[in-house]
Amino acid sequence: MPLDTSTYSLALLRLDGRRWNELRNIHAQISTQAAADGSSYLEMGNTKVLCTVTGPAEGRQSGQRGGKDNEAKVEVEIGFAGFSGLERRKRKNDKRTSEMQHTLETAYSSLLLTHLYPHSTITLNIHILSQDGSLLAACINAATLALIDAGIPMTDYLVACTAASSATSAESDNSDPLLDLNNLEEQELSFLTVGTLGRSDRVSVLIMETRVRMERVEGMLAVGIDGCKRMREILDRVVKEYGQRFS
Amino acid sequence: MAPEAILSHLHRADGSATYTHNGYCIIGAVNGPIEVLRRDEMPEEATVEVNVRPAVGVGSPKERHLETLLHSTLRSIILTRSIPRTLVQITLQVRSLPDEESSTGVSPSLLLLPHLLHTSLLALLSASIPLSTTLTAVLIALPSTNTATASTQLLSPTAQELLRAKPIRSAHVFAFSGEGKLLLNESDGTFSYEEWDEAAEAAQEVCCKEDGGVGLGEGMEVDGREGQNLDDWLRSVVRTKVGHEQRWKSTS
Amino acid sequence: MPQEAQISVNERAFIQDALKEQLRLDGRAFDAFRPLELTFGDEYGVADVQLGKTRVIARISVDVTTPLPERKFDGVFQIITEFSPMASPAFEVGRPTNAEVVLSRILEKAIRRSNALDTESLCIIAGLKCFALRADVHVIDHDGGLIDASCIAVMAALQHFRRPDVLVEGEKATVLSIRERDPIPLSILHQPLCVTFSYFEEGELFLVDSNLAEEQVRDGEVIITMNRHGEVCQIAKYGGAPVEPYALFNLTSLALQKVKEMSKFIQERLDEDAKRRNAGGLLAELSAENDRPFDRPVG
Repeated sequence: MPLDTSTYSLALLRLDGRRWNELRNIHAQISTQAAADGSSYLEMGNTKVLCTVTGPAEGRQSGQRGGKDNEAKVEVEIGFAGFSGLERRKRKNDKRTSEMQHTLETAYSSLLLTHLYPHSTITLNIHILSQDGSLLAACINAATLALIDAGIPMTDYLVACTAASSATSAESDNSDPLLDLNNLEEQELSFLTVGTLGRSDRVSVLIMETRVRMERVEGMLAVGIDGCKRMREILDRVVKEYGQRFS
Repeated sequence: MAPEAILSHLHRADGSATYTHNGYCIIGAVNGPIEVLRRDEMPEEATVEVNVRPAVGVGSPKERHLETLLHSTLRSIILTRSIPRTLVQITLQVRSLPDEESSTGVSPSLLLLPHLLHTSLLALLSASIPLSTTLTAVLIALPSTNTATASTQLLSPTAQELLRAKPIRSAHVFAFSGEGKLLLNESDGTFSYEEWDEAAEAAQEVCCKEDGGVGLGEGMEVDGREGQNLDDWLRSVVRTKVGHEQRWKSTS
Repeated sequence: MPQEAQISVNERAFIQDALKEQLRLDGRAFDAFRPLELTFGDEYGVADVQLGKTRVIARISVDVTTPLPERKFDGVFQIITEFSPMASPAFEVGRPTNAEVVLSRILEKAIRRSNALDTESLCIIAGLKCFALRADVHVIDHDGGLIDASCIAVMAALQHFRRPDVLVEGEKATVLSIRERDPIPLSILHQPLCVTFSYFEEGELFLVDSNLAEEQVRDGEVIITMNRHGEVCQIAKYGGAPVEPYALFNLTSLALQKVKEMSKFIQERLDEDAKRRNAGGLLAELSAENDRPFDRPVG
């Protein structure tokens, strides 16, 4: 284990001084790139993500690449900046990235009202500038903001958050769930990423990659959904502040 | 031992065959004629695509080489001009190999080639792709003895037989069409022209010589009779399959 | 690469209407798997799984290599999933489709990341020699439920596989062939199995083990991987229609029940195969498997 979580049970403070249910500092901007149809910049702690939306437009190869008769196609591309992680490593288009792209594609193709734009393509370009945990959640939040900026109709905000179970071993009982993990916590604890639809509790995205007792999942999910609600308020404020400029 | 074959046992593919012989087991599937990619489309004939997938790992140059051989052989017997602007997709998955394969000293692609040819032909027949003729193939190995006579030739040897006869000087694969014409020959090792000639003759006998050809050793039984050639074996496989499909007709 | 044939509008409507009346086209209950068949070949480590019309073959093979410099005490374990046009003409060699990426990621998370296989036991000499185990997944016939079938195939093949024994003398390691010394089974720490739930009607209806037609009609999927001890190894819900969170808890308990059934089935088949191999009862006497202490990696 790279770090010692035993300090948590003493002071109930996490490595970065947060309580169990605190989100990191979130800073979001909307309409950052003038050239794109929609764009956003999101910081969740030290995870920094830039997202631009192009479209709905004709696909790269007209005819073949676009959506079908009754819907638009959502394409997602995720790029990692060379300086985003601790080690400067060139990431090829690996399967983990493809999986994240697939997650966003399927999540947004059912959320956006794609039937309004037949035969067209909506492209989301996500650039990861800095990685410090909750990467998928940050991508989802940034994409939601950028799509709102692009004015593509959708039913509700899709917001995401991570939650973990702080007990590392199966025996210990102090299984306080934690909200919004950073990179160090992600490496050590079993965690899940949950994405919900706005104010409702309905879960759209749920990814869990580490082994955990099935009884723990419930607690983690509850905390995650609660975090999503708070995330939605934050994002909503950003959108409304931006809207005030035009009133 | 005669090869064993099961035809049309896969649900998804248009035609399929599982072929088991001498410890080799190959699953073949044919999809076709289907839509072809624009860049592969040919205006007057069908495109043939062959994929050979090894039991372990992903395709290597060895598989690419086998694919090239199979592609040119099969293209010559598929009536590509009668199904223009389509694709015939042949996938051959090697399921199991004999354990001794790597230690026989014969090139593994030569050992595999006749089995792949038979599997692909059976799969093509199962998919009802128009063919100009059938095909049979056999491997002949010549052990390095001082006097190379016809008697030392190993006809379609098993891996154990090859191991016992080691070292093998040369190995040949011959494929013949239904009319007894040579379709493909791949040879490996050192050999004289006379030896090749004898091997070719022996191979033709195994593959398609009319009545009383040299059987593939004992136990080669086709329709209850012994000493048949591969062409008869092939026919009997297809006859059984057609008979099975037509059973609704014959019983009523 | 031709396109995958889309399901027709009529067929789609028919499946959906039937589901509304609590019926599946093949007459199964909503929470029933298709008939599962598991066979082993003559070789060790080949499992042939048939789940309805879906057929997957997993094959384990072993090689000796040098361990990765950052993981000196671990062996190498890889799972390779490459679709071939055999399963569907839409699969092209060398260009992974989304389904292929999802399958390989799920197997990676379910089996490799959850430490189902004790990779430390594959180490021969720390930092110098280790076994490289690879699992090749061949999809032979595709009628939906590929993830569930592949996971069963890989886990069954891993349990069936026997690796050759090694003799270590100082820095020198000799791999003993099967004839010289009885091969050793792998050390499997737990047995994760996947259950895929497809949901319809905006997340109101759940089906277990849907076939290809149902997969094309569904609104989304939830893939849950569990072992029979009640540990969740992986959950994946990639978008799709949103569902109520409490429905997800029901899924985990249903998954646990299914996983227990499947584990039992796999164990039965493994026992049958062991009995078949040990026809004369001779092997039991010759085998040193039981009294061999757990192989510690040297170094």
